[in-house]
Amino acid sequence: MFANRSGSILAADLGSVHTRLVLFDLVDGSYRLIARAEGRTTSGFPFYDVNVGLVRAVKTISEVTDRVLLNPTQRIIIPEQPDRSGVDYFVATASTGRPLRTVMLGLVPEISIASGLRAAAGTYVEIVGTFSLDDTRSEEQQVNALVKSSPDLVLITGGTEYGAMEPILQLARSVQLALLLMDRARRPVILYAGNSAIVPQIRTMFDSMTALFVAPNVRPSLEEEYLDGAQLQLGQAFDAYKATRGGGFDTIGQMSERGVLPTAQSYNLIVEYLGRAQTDHGVLAVDVGSAVSSLSAFVNGDVNTIIRTDIGLGHSAHNLFETTSLAALERWLPFPVSHDEIETYTRNKALHPESIPESLREMYIEHALLRTGIQLLVEASQPIWYNTAQPPLNVPLPSFSPIIGAGAGLTRTGSPGFTALLMLDSLQPEGIANLQVDPHGLIPVLGALASVQPEAVVQVLDSTSLESLGTSFSVSGQPRTGKAALKVKIKTENGEVVEQQVDGGNVWIYPLDSGEKAEVEIRVLSRGTSIGGKGRIKQTFEGGTAGLIFDARGRPLTLAKDARGRAGQLPLWVSQATGEPLKELDERWFAPPAKPEKEAEPEKKPAPKPEKRARRGRRGKNEEAEQETKNDKEVNELDDLRNVLS
Amino acid sequence: MYYPEQRHTLAWATVRRERLLPDQSIGTVEARNGQYLNLRDVVARGRVPARYIFVEATGFFRLRNETELVDLMLVEIGEQVAAGQVLAGKQATKGKRLVSPVTGVIVYVGQGRIIIQETPEEIEVEAGLTGQVVGIRPNQGVVVEAFGALAQGVWGNGRRLIGPLRIEPEDGLEAIFDDTIDRPYAGSIVITRRSLKAVSLDALETQNIGGVVAPSMDAALYERALDMDVAIMLTEGFGDIRMSSYLFSLLEGFNGRQTTLDAVLPTRWDAGRPEVFINLPPKAGERPPEPRMDLTLQTGMTVRLTRAPYAGLIGQVIGLPKTPQLLDNGLRVPCAQVDLITGGKVMIPLANLEIFGK
Repeated sequence: MFANRSGSILAADLGSVHTRLVLFDLVDGSYRLIARAEGRTTSGFPFYDVNVGLVRAVKTISEVTDRVLLNPTQRIIIPEQPDRSGVDYFVATASTGRPLRTVMLGLVPEISIASGLRAAAGTYVEIVGTFSLDDTRSEEQQVNALVKSSPDLVLITGGTEYGAMEPILQLARSVQLALLLMDRARRPVILYAGNSAIVPQIRTMFDSMTALFVAPNVRPSLEEEYLDGAQLQLGQAFDAYKATRGGGFDTIGQMSERGVLPTAQSYNLIVEYLGRAQTDHGVLAVDVGSAVSSLSAFVNGDVNTIIRTDIGLGHSAHNLFETTSLAALERWLPFPVSHDEIETYTRNKALHPESIPESLREMYIEHALLRTGIQLLVEASQPIWYNTAQPPLNVPLPSFSPIIGAGAGLTRTGSPGFTALLMLDSLQPEGIANLQVDPHGLIPVLGALASVQPEAVVQVLDSTSLESLGTSFSVSGQPRTGKAALKVKIKTENGEVVEQQVDGGNVWIYPLDSGEKAEVEIRVLSRGTSIGGKGRIKQTFEGGTAGLIFDARGRPLTLAKDARGRAGQLPLWVSQATGEPLKELDERWFAPPAKPEKEAEPEKKPAPKPEKRARRGRRGKNEEAEQETKNDKEVNELDDLRNVLS
Repeated sequence: MYYPEQRHTLAWATVRRERLLPDQSIGTVEARNGQYLNLRDVVARGRVPARYIFVEATGFFRLRNETELVDLMLVEIGEQVAAGQVLAGKQATKGKRLVSPVTGVIVYVGQGRIIIQETPEEIEVEAGLTGQVVGIRPNQGVVVEAFGALAQGVWGNGRRLIGPLRIEPEDGLEAIFDDTIDRPYAGSIVITRRSLKAVSLDALETQNIGGVVAPSMDAALYERALDMDVAIMLTEGFGDIRMSSYLFSLLEGFNGRQTTLDAVLPTRWDAGRPEVFINLPPKAGERPPEPRMDLTLQTGMTVRLTRAPYAGLIGQVIGLPKTPQLLDNGLRVPCAQVDLITGGKVMIPLANLEIFGK
């Protein structure tokens, strides 16, 4: 139907917070980005309809380009008309909305369940239950738990090839029983990815009850893991699930050439394209969203994508805190914090997911969450990169270039140097890497476009649509802090020569604009260190919005164990990366965090008799009353002022 | 064009709200389109699926084959049984007999076991608004249109309550502690302008207070608040944030009025909005305006600020710079210049503004 069309393309990506829309068109025979728009995703109150946000974005592009894109019923005009209204193609991707509620079933948590979880990490799923042989619950409890969890999908793994059969059949029978008890319309889809020897029995059990997908065994042997087949089937299950949802997805799906595709699939596709286009390095793209985050990597000729619905800086900020630890966050904070402070911060962030930290303290907390979230994504990806369930400890990041960052928390710092620093901190690449960002959400829409107009994807990617931050040179090993680590000589195209010594524990950025090149000569001075295994480098490199970034802090990056020590590191690095003056920290921040009051732990509080509680209440009231009165005076004064002015 | 978040605080508005059975339930709609409803009218009834109880028969009867159970069954699938009722045996009145441990419905017989589903919980959905049915959601519920005052919050603990609105005592919520059997706030929705602490939750529980609208709550109390039967709505967030004077004044004006507190719990996948609604009688021939939901940010608009250090403050937009602005913390982001009603002009990220009172 659309084979004869070759013109304008409108592509949308519906994120949890932002809806991004891009218009591409042919300019001199080649596809170019013509206009883009961004607005709030309207999946929540008051619209509960993502189409509203899409229409707003379309109207913005209409205004900018002076093209009519919507018909009177607010549908996108397809194909493009002789009067240039409308577009030839519309494609859409989404990462917003509830993920597939998934129950995981396997024999051993550390083996088949672990592989199943890694396979499920490739799509938008939320694990709502796990069942294994280690489960001490009775079958009655298991069946009730399964029914109550109301899953959309049950992923059954377990048994190596030619290995155990009966134990997995036993678990599958419990699932069969649970399905039997559920209303037919609410039965979950079954995906079987275990021992292939029992596929016939599995088919007999579930074929007539619900939709059954069968994938190759995710754990053919104890040493091997195969996730691609299960991930493919999971993707199909997701597509089918999304199509049945309301909330405007149905309307958008009807207008789109390929329905609404998962955003992460686009990352997978584009990273693979970029990876196959070169041979020297892998390619990595990390997207930290509000509710969901993903990491796609092309390593050793293979692409893989990890999606985590518990990592995000907005809707999932508190889930991220629950997933990690206070100690992990504190590694990135130049001041001590309490559990309560982070809990309060992340709970509030989930209420205002799009909001931006205004104070210095909150900015550090936000970026600690961001760095920790990315590190969790890397940790989750390592078993796949190294094709083993248990990757070696402290293994360096494989060689990636380009490294692409996406998501508002990473790309909207307003300073390319700051963004580059956040990427270097959290990913800790070694050697030389080109750092890029995708601030306008192009990768998701390009991925969707690939199935419709692949040449458009190639042309747009080649037209430098992603923002290049520049080239980073990271020192491996541990250069001594304050001692000369690198000697750098830069010769620009206009003949300017700059020489700089970079000390250990420091970052230095030479501002070289995008498109500009310079000959860079580096001598590694510190014993036992290198840049990607080399002690000397002389080569021409391209700049970016940040420039040429020399990171002499060493790998793995060593952060001081105490807050005072980190206060000497983190603000300095921010200052070096942004070029802004060093921001002094408030001395009061170094006071140890207040311990939570006993009364904040109701479960530990003995149930007092009513009379005693009343007396304690009064005594407490009197004590608090003084403070309250003081506070009230301040508040009343404030309120009076408000009333006068309002 | 920038469409900021909106959180409605309106003294007189037309609202439409869905009143639906919970997702898990199976039920019927009891109201018809166009019907006028009172607050307490039931619009839908349903049942929430209950627990399954496994009664093992193979071992009990020492069956050699699981299929032998079918011949011993004295009740059928779909049959309602009472606790203690005989389920299976060679005879109903004598010999070895298997009795039901619960009251429920037989849902499965097989694999040598009988599965009984306990009697499901019956649930009713009340209108919660005095108004008119303007839409039907088959098997789920209705859409009700009503006139009144609306104040939306940021967080709720998932409870809903209809009750009289009461302003907290001068000394605060905790002052409601007393030794008397007289509980003047029992069943009511109390408005407090102070942050909720553990002692506040104690007071709510011991005094049988139905609901509370507070500006904020200690984040450590999150799980406890979810477990409470008291409906809790926060207007600003977690921590120690005070309620805005404007909002408190608005609610204070409705002291004693019957109020619906819908303390919707926002989740990652369903950004519901908790709210207080006070039905007000329509003025002669006057239909109040509907909340405006498609507003772009303009100079002159009144906005509420959502992030520290200005969280909860109100101001007026006096400038919309075209380029991103440098914040004190070093971030450079799109901003609006806001004239705070407490005095002072500040540069606030657009993402930290909500349109207020529209």
